[in-house]
Formats: sequence, C-alpha cells, structure tokens
Amino acid sequence: MRPVYRTLRVLLLAAVAAGLLVVSSSAPHGQEASGIRGRVQIGIPIATRRPTTAYPTRSVPSARLAPESERRNVVVYLRNTQPQTVAPMRVAIRQRDESFTPRVVAVTVGSDVEFPNDDPIYHNVFSLSRVKNFNLGRYPRGETRRVRFDRPGVVKVFCEIHSHMSATVMVFDHPWFTVPNDAGAFELTGLPSGDRQVTAWHERLGDTTVNVRVELGRTVQTDFILPVPEP
Amino acid sequence: MRRPPRLVARTLAVTFVTVAIILSIVFIVLTVDARDRVRTSEVEKLRVAERVFTALEARRQQEQLASIATLAENPTLKAALDTYFTESRFTSPAADQESSLRGTVVLEAEKLAALTNANLLAILDSTGRVFVSTGPAAAGWPAGQVITIATGASTFQGVIALPGGAFRVSGAALRLQDRDIGSLAVGTSLDDRYARELSSLASAHVVIVVDGAVVASTLPDNVTADLAGDAPSLLAETRTLGGEEYASRLLIESGPAQIFTLASIDLAARAATRDALMALGSVALGAFVLAAIGSFWLARTLTDPIDTLVRNIEIMTAAHSPVNLLKPTGKSRELDMLAAAFNTLVQGLTAAEAETRAAYVGAIRALAAALDARDSYTAGHSDRVSALSVIIGRQMRLSDVDLEVLRLGALLHDIGKIGLNDEILGKRGALTAEEFEQIKRHPVVGARILRQVPFLEPHLPIVELHHESPDGRGYPFGLRGDAIPLAARIVHVADAYDAMTSARAYRPARDTSEACVELQRFAGTQFDPACVEALLQAIPPSALSSSGPPLHELLDRQLV
Repeated sequence: MRPVYRTLRVLLLAAVAAGLLVVSSSAPHGQEASGIRGRVQIGIPIATRRPTTAYPTRSVPSARLAPESERRNVVVYLRNTQPQTVAPMRVAIRQRDESFTPRVVAVTVGSDVEFPNDDPIYHNVFSLSRVKNFNLGRYPRGETRRVRFDRPGVVKVFCEIHSHMSATVMVFDHPWFTVPNDAGAFELTGLPSGDRQVTAWHERLGDTTVNVRVELGRTVQTDFILPVPEP
Repeated sequence: MRRPPRLVARTLAVTFVTVAIILSIVFIVLTVDARDRVRTSEVEKLRVAERVFTALEARRQQEQLASIATLAENPTLKAALDTYFTESRFTSPAADQESSLRGTVVLEAEKLAALTNANLLAILDSTGRVFVSTGPAAAGWPAGQVITIATGASTFQGVIALPGGAFRVSGAALRLQDRDIGSLAVGTSLDDRYARELSSLASAHVVIVVDGAVVASTLPDNVTADLAGDAPSLLAETRTLGGEEYASRLLIESGPAQIFTLASIDLAARAATRDALMALGSVALGAFVLAAIGSFWLARTLTDPIDTLVRNIEIMTAAHSPVNLLKPTGKSRELDMLAAAFNTLVQGLTAAEAETRAAYVGAIRALAAALDARDSYTAGHSDRVSALSVIIGRQMRLSDVDLEVLRLGALLHDIGKIGLNDEILGKRGALTAEEFEQIKRHPVVGARILRQVPFLEPHLPIVELHHESPDGRGYPFGLRGDAIPLAARIVHVADAYDAMTSARAYRPARDTSEACVELQRFAGTQFDPACVEALLQAIPPSALSSSGPPLHELLDRQLV
C-alpha cells in the first residue's frame, strides 16, 4: 500500500508545485536550447555534525574543511524518460576523513566510479543495492578501486569498517540530470519538449517532483524547496 | 491432715516464680520492642536496597546503553536498512529485493538479539515504527507498532505499555553520516521472570505496576489478589496485605511503570521473636538451674542444722536423758540461739522431772516404810527386798532402766498388805484358809492402789505378780514360766529370801545358808532357777559364813 500512497502524495505535491511554476515561469531568454533552470533551497539548517557513536574518531581529526553545501547532495533530474544512449563518465568518490566525498554523485550508465582512499586507515566499499551489488574489500591509503554501473537506479554505498559512512550513486540512462553548485543553482539543457517531470532528490530530505512543460527554445525557471513537508 | 510443705519446696517455688515472672516481663518487652525494631529495620532495609539498587541500576542502564550503542554500529544492518528505505522511497523495490534486504536486517537483528540475550530486540524506522522485531517476546511488538519513546536522541530508555505487555526499553539511534535512519531498541518484558530477577537482586518481594494495574508480582497469590486495584497504596511506607504487614518502597518509576519492593514485617518479626525466644529460653534454663541450686543450697543451710537438732532431740527423747546437749550448728546464729534455748529448757525440765521423781519415790518409800512399821517383824523388809532385787538384777545384767524399775517395784511389792487387818498380819500360828485367801489378795490390791499413779505403770507387774511360781502354783493368776515377767520372778526370790532370813512372830530367823538351800530346793518349781542362781552368785561368800556380818546388815548398809 505504501508505494501507492507515496505516488499519490507525490502527484498531489506535483500538482501544487506546477501551479506555482506556471505563475513563476519567466519569458524565454532567446536561447535555442530548451531547458530548465532554477535553484535548490534547503529550508532548514543542517549542521554537518559528527555522529555520536560508540567508536569515536581515532586517527582522523575533526573536519577541517567547511562542510560542503548540502545543496551539493541534491540531484535534479528528469523523470520517466525513454532510455538514451549516453557516454560513460569517470567520477571519483574519495574516502577522506571517514566520509565519502562527495557523498552524492550522479553518473550515466556504463560509467566507472573510482573510490580512492585518502585516509591513513583502511576503508571498505560495499553496496547491497539491487542496481549494483558489490564489495570492493578493504584497502589502504593511496589505493583506489573502481566500479562500473551498468544499470540505472540508485546505489547506496557503505563502508564496512566505518558504519557511519555512506554515499549515494545515482545512475541514469539519459543525460538530463545535474547536481547543483554550491549556491544551489542548477540548469538542465537540451531537454525534449513536452510535459516533463522534474525531480529534486536529497538523500535525507526526500524528493519532490514537479510537472514542467518544456518548449523548444525556452528555459523554464523552477525552484525547489527542501525538505519536502510531511503531509 | 495435710502436712505443710518442706522448706526446700517453698524456697524453690518462690525463686522459680520470681524468675518466671521476670523472664515473662522481659519476653513481653522484647517481643513488643522486637516488632518495632523489625518494622524500622525492614523499612530501612528496603530504603538501603533501593539506594544500592538505584545506583547499580543507573550503572547497568548506562552500560546497557553503551553496549546497545555499540550494537547500533553494525554496518551491515545499517547498510541494509538504509538501502531498503532509500530504494523503497525512490521506486517500489522489487519483491525479491525487499525480502532480501529485510532478510538481511532480520538476520543482523537476530545476531544482536543473541548477543544481548534480550527478551526482544527491534529495529525501528526513523519514525519510531517497528520494522523488524526478534527475540522470545517479539510477538508483543508487531511490525508497524509505534514505540513512542524512540525519540531520535542518540540513546533512549523508558517503559512502554503495549497490548502484548509492558516493556522496559533501551535503545540507540542508527546513524549514518549525520542522519538517523532508524533505531535499535532492546526490550525487557516486565513479567514475572523479571520480577523474580529483581526480587533476588533486592532480596525482597517485587511488584510491578503498570498504569495502576499489577502486571507481575513475586508475592503469594492471595497477597497479590489483595493488592489488585489498590496498587497506589504501596506508596505508603507500610501496608497490610493478606493479613500481614508489609514494608514497601518504590524502587523504580519510569513512565507508566512503577516497581515496588516489599518485605513482610510479620515474617521478620516472627524470626526475630523466635530468636529472642531461643535466647531467652537458654537464659531461662540457666536461671532456673542457678535458682534451683541456689535455693536448694539456701534451704539446706537452714534444714540441715534443723535436721541435726531434730535428730539430737529424738536421740535425747529415746534415751530419756538430757546427757547429750545440743551442739551449736555453726551455720546460723538464730538456730544456735534456738539450740541454746532448747538446752536450757531441757536442763530445766530434767531438773524438774528429777525433782518430781525424787518426790514420788520419797512418798512411796514413806508408804512402804509405813507398811513395814505396822509389824516389827517386817521392818525394813521392803528396803531389803528392793536392795536384794537390784543385786540379783545387776548379776543378771539388766539395763539401768530395768534396774530402776526393779528397785522401785520391789520397794512397793507388798503395798497391797495395807488392806489387810492387823489381826491377820500379826497372827501367830497357822492361818485359816479364809485368812490365807485374804493374804493371797494383796498383790491384786497393791496393783489396784498403785494403778492410780500413772508414773508407777512400769512397776505394776512386779507388785501384781511377785507371788507367781514357774510351776503355775503361785497366785493370784497361776501364771507359768516365761509368762511371769523377769522382774516379778526376781522380786519373788528376793522376797522369799528376806522372809526366810528374818524373824517372824511364829518362828525365828533362819541361817542364810539354810535359806540358800531352801531356795535351791524349790528352784524350778516355786522359784525361777536363773534368779536363784544369780542370787547365790551375788551374795558375798562372807555372808554365807557364820563369822561374817549378816546379810541384813550388808543390805542395810547398801541402802544407805
């Protein structure tokens, strides 16, 4: 029952958001390519705190870098599309400071994702996901291992040694996906015209989908506000 | 007639009663006091137990939380759970995938449950609903059940009442990076088994109350039944349940649950009373033994000298002689004074008795002398017969008492002749048969006269029977042989001897040797041969020779 319910809820939200979108869509900018541009905003402060665990951090000092913007952990993509032929990508998820960096990546089908270990300790990379079930084993600093993702879908990646580490790899069989920059701005270009569904997904804050009418030569402005309010 | 009790019985009774009263009072005071003390101590014991238990429990909870937090670091569990929720949110996961991920979670949860040995171990989703539950009590936590205390804090604990029973719950959040993907909760059923465990830890009864109702109890069933519906009253320090008084104390209060410890005051008081009774019993035994020994000794110090005195008095009475005066007991001044007073009394009495006796004897002698004086021929006869009888008696080794009886009896033997008139008494020539009959009545008359004087009772047989002969031809009764008392036989011989050796109006005095021959002739018929023999032996040989002084003079001399 839950998936049905969830779908209903998503559709309802989408309808509301679509109404807003129509009002707020701006005029075409005169570019030839049709696309969607917008911002992802996160409505609640998220502190990247280190989890209180039974295993306190041993050799790795607390985060010395400012936390990456949570907006970088959002993937905006076109939903319900026909599979396309896409070029593979090469992406790296580094293991640094007992974290996967970046935590969220989006790649095309057939891409390789490398997992270099930058920490002075052993790490492990494994996944239980349906799309790609793997275990790269444990390896030390400086070593890197890679995985090829051949099927579209979402893959959760974990470290068997450090149970709080997790990363998400989203694999698409089309090119219309993107990760916002630090400011939250994103742009999808070259979209096929027609009524499309655009989803913004965040690993914790949930996902929201809006309906967008894509017209040739127009760029539609749409903003996402996360988290998705609970019904 | 009832005899009064012995002194030792009296002293024993008095000391025993005293000891018993003292012990009874001590016992009553002890038992009343013991109950108060027990009540205080039971309440205090529960308080201490609660303090200790609270401290231990806080530590245990902390350790349990730490271990649960450790368990919550299980990477496989987290990965499976997160993958499951991510995928189920993203798309509807395929059935095989869902069951595979759920299976992984269940497997990990079961491993952890085996590690914790918990009644129940559950994995909750991020909204606090049960995703997977495992363990013996898992049925109480169906999937989807909201566990309200799973607050999302890194660790949590509390009590939750579910339709399947009440549980103590400790848990930790399952964290991934900076977000909660769910919780790990470990539940302990608040059931009888848990109550028993607590009970053995607190060494008191345990009652678990959830939402005002008793859910578990180690008390006997009837007591628990008495408690039903009135659980809040346990907040009082003491409470009467099932007819017994219990001390009670709130051990743990968490959410809807209250856990009380109870201890039976009556049970402890009974034990304390029994101990006191045992101690008192041994004291009582000792006290009674000591009292018995003491009073026995005390009584003996009194009764022993008294017994000695009594024995001495009995000896004196039997001997009829004040020769042995009572000696001082040396054990009691009062008894010594009593003995001295008794001695004085006895001495006085002895003197008085001697005086009385002397007076009697004097009077009797006067009487006898008066009788003898009626006839010049019989003058001094009674005195001589008396002296001769004593000589014979002494020869026959009679006792002093018998000799005294003999002496006085012989003195009075012819007193009956008072009743004879002077004609018959002083008649010269043969008596008529009638006159002789009168003469023969004198022993009976004498006895009748003397019977008036009780003091002379022992002498009566001599007076009455001194004319009886061994061959039965004597008078007045014609007794034979041994039927005649020895004293009477002696006096008979002495009387005959003196009569023969004295002059009479109708004949002169015979020679002593002649008299002896005469006596010997009639020994065995008229006279007792033993007495005759004794007389012959006793009379000094000089008396038998004609040259020596006559026996009369010897006897007279002896009487002086």
